[in-house]
Formats: sequence, C-alpha cells, structure tokens
Amino acid sequence: MNIIVCVKQVPSTNEVRLDPETHTIIRDGRQSVINPFDTYGLEEAVQIKERLGGRVTVLSMGIPATERLLRDAMSRGADQGVLLTDKAFAGADTLATSYALSLGVKQIGEYDLIICGKMAVDGDTAQIGPELAETLGLPHIADVKKILSVDETSLTCIKLTDNGEQELQVPLPALITVLKDINMPRLPSITGVEFSLTAPFHSFSADQLAADTSRTGLNGSPTQVVRTFTPERGGEAQEITGSLDEQAAEILNLIKG
Amino acid sequence: MNSNPLIKPMNEEFADYLRDESRTTGQAESISFPKTAQELTDILKTLSASGTPVTVQGGRTGLAAAAVPQEGHIMNLTRMNQVTGLRRDEAGRFYVRTQPGVVLSQLRKMLESRKFPSEQMEAWDDQSKAVLTELARAPEQFFSPDPTESSATIGGMIACNASGARSYLYGPVRPYITMLKIALINGDTLTVVRGRQRLHGRRLQLTTDSGRQICCDLPTYVMPKTKNASGYYIEDDMDVIDIFIGSDGTLGVIYEAELALLPLPQIIWGVSCFFANEDQAVHMVEAVRQELQQIAAIEFFDRDALAILRRQREESTAFSGLPLVPPGVDSAIYLEIHDEKEEDAYQRLFAIGRLMESVGGDRQHSWVARTAADRDRLVFFRHAVPESVNMLIDQRKKSEPTITKLGTDMSVPDKDLQRIMTMYRHMLAERGLQSAIWGHIGNNHLHVNILPRSAADQAAGKELYKEWATQVSAMGGAVSAEHGVGKLKAPFLEIMYGSAHLAEMARLKKAFDPDFRLGRDNLFAAARFAGEGDK
Repeated sequence: MNIIVCVKQVPSTNEVRLDPETHTIIRDGRQSVINPFDTYGLEEAVQIKERLGGRVTVLSMGIPATERLLRDAMSRGADQGVLLTDKAFAGADTLATSYALSLGVKQIGEYDLIICGKMAVDGDTAQIGPELAETLGLPHIADVKKILSVDETSLTCIKLTDNGEQELQVPLPALITVLKDINMPRLPSITGVEFSLTAPFHSFSADQLAADTSRTGLNGSPTQVVRTFTPERGGEAQEITGSLDEQAAEILNLIKG
Repeated sequence: MNSNPLIKPMNEEFADYLRDESRTTGQAESISFPKTAQELTDILKTLSASGTPVTVQGGRTGLAAAAVPQEGHIMNLTRMNQVTGLRRDEAGRFYVRTQPGVVLSQLRKMLESRKFPSEQMEAWDDQSKAVLTELARAPEQFFSPDPTESSATIGGMIACNASGARSYLYGPVRPYITMLKIALINGDTLTVVRGRQRLHGRRLQLTTDSGRQICCDLPTYVMPKTKNASGYYIEDDMDVIDIFIGSDGTLGVIYEAELALLPLPQIIWGVSCFFANEDQAVHMVEAVRQELQQIAAIEFFDRDALAILRRQREESTAFSGLPLVPPGVDSAIYLEIHDEKEEDAYQRLFAIGRLMESVGGDRQHSWVARTAADRDRLVFFRHAVPESVNMLIDQRKKSEPTITKLGTDMSVPDKDLQRIMTMYRHMLAERGLQSAIWGHIGNNHLHVNILPRSAADQAAGKELYKEWATQVSAMGGAVSAEHGVGKLKAPFLEIMYGSAHLAEMARLKKAFDPDFRLGRDNLFAAARFAGEGDK
C-alpha cells in the first residue's frame, strides 16, 4: 500500500516580539512546524504501512527550508520526501496549491491513498484535500475520525458530520482528510532521526513538473485578499421573554434580521 | 497588642494558608499579605512587640512543610510580586530583580516575551529601562532552575535552594542569586551582595541598615559533596549571601532578590531512552556521565512509575495524550541535550544511541523531542508521574486517612549510585512495600515514593525512610537534596549532622533571631535550643 501524505509548514507560534524602540518585528529564527492536523495524517499512514507494507511519501509545496520538516516527518516513519519549490508557486491560494500538489502526486507515481490533515491551522480553509481530490479525479472523504478497515482495493471509515457520524466505504485510490481524534502521533526514535538525515528526498521546480504557470502561484489564484483584520469580539446579549411561542417567533425575527 | 491593620485574624477564608503541597496542615492566629518592603517591616516590628512567631510563605508548593505554620503569624509574600528592574554587567550578562512573590512561570513568560507589566515598569530606574531594550535585542535569556512546580515563587525557591531536572548541568538556585534584601525578625533590614561580603574563616560579621552588628561563629560541619539542600550552607571564607540561600525561612525574610540569567541554548532536545531492566538504565547513567557533555538533565523512571503511567493512559481521559511506553520495557532515562549548533546536537544524540546499545539497550526504544510540541509531550509525561502518585494516595486516603505520600529527597556520591539502588530495592522488597521511584538520577538523587496501602505500611515506610537517612548520611550523602528540610525532614537533619552540629545551627539562627520566632521548627525544633545562651 503506497500512501502520500500532504503536509504544510505553518508558523510555530502566533506571538511576535517587537523591538521596544523601533516597534519592528524581531525575527529570531523561531522555526516553523508541520501543521498539527497533518501529523495525524502521517501517523495514520505509517500505521497502515506497518500493517500492510508499502511506502509512505510526504509531499509539500513550500520554500526550500521546508525540507527540514519533511525530514522530520521521515523521522516519524515516512520513507521519502517530495518538495515542490519554485518562485512560480509563491502566493498560491488553495486552487493553485492543489493544482501544484496534483503535479507532485503524478510525479510520485504509484499510489493507493492520499491523506491530508483536515485543515491547516494558519489558513483554516479545509479546502486543499477536497480540491486536490477533484483535480486528480479521485473520490474523497473529509473529516475522517476512524479508519475501520483498509486493503488494496477499498477503505472503510467513520466520517464526522455536522449532525453525527457516517460509516463510508470508498474504492482506492482515494483521498481522505483526517481529524485529530484519529490517533496519537508517535515521537521519533533515535533510529528514526538517523534515517531521516539521509532518507530519500526529492525537490521539484515548476519546470521539472511541466507546470502550467498560469495555474500556479499568484497567477493561478482567483482568491484576492482585499484586507486582513482582527475582528472585534463583542459580548452582546439580549433577553427574550414571553411564552415559548412568542420567544420562538422573536428568535426567528432576529435570525431573519 | 495588634495595632497594624495589615495583620488579620485567621478565619475560614484563610484556611488554605495553613497547608502547603506537603499536604501537612498547621495552625496560626493571624495572617498578612504585605505588598511593599515598608509594609513588611512594619508588620515585623508590630509582631516583635508582641513576641509573635512568624512563618513566611510563598507559593506553598514546598514538599517539606517549611511554609506550614505551627502557631503565631503567617506572612504570605505572594502579593509582593513585582519585577523591580534589570541590570547588565560589563561582561554582557543580564540580571533581573524581583520581589519574592513573583511566580516562576510568570517570570519565564516575561523573559521569553521580553515584556514586563507596564505598571511595574513605571517604578523602574532609567538603567533598567535601557537594559530592557538590550534584552529585547539579545538572544533569549532564561533563569535555569526548573523545579517541577512552576507555580513556585522566587522567594520560596531561594529559601529552599530549589533545583530541578536541569540542575545536573546548571546547578541549583544558589549560584544565580547575586543580591538579597533581607528583613530580620525585628524589622531591621540588610542587603547582601555576592562577592561583597565574605566570612573570615567561619566568623560572620554583618552590619544591618540600622547599624547593628551581627557577629557569630558559624557551624563547623563539612557539607556533603553531593547535591544538597540540608541545613545551612557553610564553608570557610564563603560568601555571606550563601548563608541565606537555602536557610528554609529561618534567618530573615527575603523582600527583594537579583537573579542572574543565562542565554537560552539554541538547541534543546529531550530524549527518553527505554531499557529492559534497571541495571541497564543505571549503566546508561554512568556511561552518559562519563562520555557526554552538554547534557542538561538525566532523569529516571522505574518500572512502577511506568506502570502507573500506562494505567493512567488507559483509564483517564486527562492522561490519554501521554505517549505510549514501548511494550516490554522496564525503566526509562530522560536526557536533555542543550547545544548551540545542530550538528553538535546530532552528534550527541547519536552518541546516546550508541551508549544505549553498549549497555544492552535498543536505540529504537527511544523518543526524541526536537520540536516544542514534542518537548511538551515529554514534559507532560514527566509531570504525570508525581501527579498520578498524588491521585493514587488521595484515593487510598479515603479508606485509610492516616496514609500520606512518603517521598524521599536524598542524594549520594556518584560512586554509590548502584549501591543505593540495590539498597532501595532490597529494603522495599524486604518490607513488602509498594513504591515508585523517579527523579534526578544524574545527581544520584532519586525520589523514592513509598505508596502505603494501610496504616501498617505507613508506619513501616516511615521507619524505612529513617533507616535510609542513616545509610545515606554514612555514604556521605544528603538527607534533602532539593526540597529543603522544612519541618518534615528535621529529624533526618540530626541524623545527618548529629546533635552537636544541630546546636551550632541553632546558635547561628539565634544571632539573627534571638527568640526563635522566624520559621519556627524548620530545620530543628526550636524548643530544644531556644533557652541556650550565645557562645
């Protein structure tokens, strides 16, 4: 069973330090980390490989320094790392990112399953998994909280929904996105760390992937960020009184605005 | 007559202040929470007039009951919680000045963010404000002592010369305290600065701020050459400040301290190594001590501690995030690598792997924490052990109220590590007592926790504890290596030093506190010595 796990580099902290005189950000090299949701995807992939055999490849699009995180993933059980890195990929929204990742998946070649974390903690879109599946023409299941069974041909799992849970089966190859309840990621061993330093790692540019650069980076991103701001948090409360019917009618009015 | 409104009579509202983390309960008639040095000395002067005993408290996280009052007044210093300034010396080293009630975890946060509360900074001098700018631009600094309980206060840490896992590399609190402002029991004050006041041999001569001379001959004992927090620190020609550090709240009330900081290493990696038996783990410790530099911590968990963690992980959702201990392993050693360069840290990590195999272990049975998230998981793992043991004891207490945790805090010289382990195992088995052993094995300083199942177990455990104090003292070890003596270990201090040296300690106390009113019954029972005259 060959599995590809998509991982994203995210900042390790949301606290920045300012110079008290110049009020500029002090960059002290605090390193980035693997998006926490992706670590659950990696652990699930490694557990499946340990049961069924095969290979786990970690795939990322990012700056060259992302190699460090891919090697970290290899210390935790992945067999090889693939990084897509090019200025042409910079400024990508989820559509352009999933296009680039689809090229990476094709470059890796043979695979049975792709696992993504539910979402990245910096963007919170939860779009990459489903968009990558659509780009590749694969069936997908999002928000998987437990894999019940998996073999070379199909995967059965429990998916969390807004109203409860669903048990679903999907033929392979397919893509799933996983929740953090699915497992408890392992810590690397000394052997794992030793392996990761010399483990197979491949880096690809847009050219090498024969990417259509009108679909990558800023060029391929229909999403336009107009403005970013921190929303004000209000703590307004309104008391509704009356009979149950009156209260229900009042709530309906409020919802309708 | 109580004429100070800051002195409040005890009532139900203050009941918590009769206890500390040792789970011992005492009694008192009044309590105060001074916020300034002036308030503190005024209270002491009022209490002097009535001859009231005073017990000083910080975060009450101590395990030796030093902060538990027996009578009289509780002076709680948690509201003296201001950072009062910064300093940088010519060598570029940073220092932070604090009041005693600053909590360690808060100090850590301030140092990490280089942000101090603006209302506290209003009182800073210009030099401190200028140093803050330098601190913000400099590599991150830290205060190295790391007791398990980070809600400890700075004053409490100084009073018991606290340490922690990283003391293996950095030492305890002592060398990092460069200045203390101290109020004596009568309200008189003095300032001691490291390097400025020294003993002449063992003769102490000090002048208080009011001009009073304090002269006395200090105890004649030789301290153990191990990690030690037992009784007064005494050496020929020593720095006077060291008498107060680790004095268990018996000589004076610390109302301000200056702490020396260190640059935080660029690389901090945690490594847990698992072994099939305890001998392999002990041999690993000996090998690491001999072969590896820059190891900040060497910690141990025995099979019973691991079994408790395995069970907690299964049974309690609060502990379900614990990493899964590999099956079939019996003991664990936790090592912490502190380095400046990644390549050096990797060399050390791989050397740890080789050493594991040289003692019969398997380097696959290890956890390496190189990221903050992984390190947090290993910290959780380490802290879950004492927490789980406390829960277990609380559970047993329900059916047998006399049961308490019996946790040792003794250290021995390096050469006796194997011997003390064998002794603990043999004597525990002989008496059929349940236990869990963990702690700072790098300093041959293990916390042997006897887990009584009955009142008879409790009595047998206490007896065993006393026997160990005798054995450890005979090996040249210390009966308390980091928690301080307080009230609970006072009998062991006498075993360690003998009654003649205890009387010398009492004489030293008397020079500062003639009526034995401060921290009464910490280190030794005041009633035994209060009547004795000065030399």
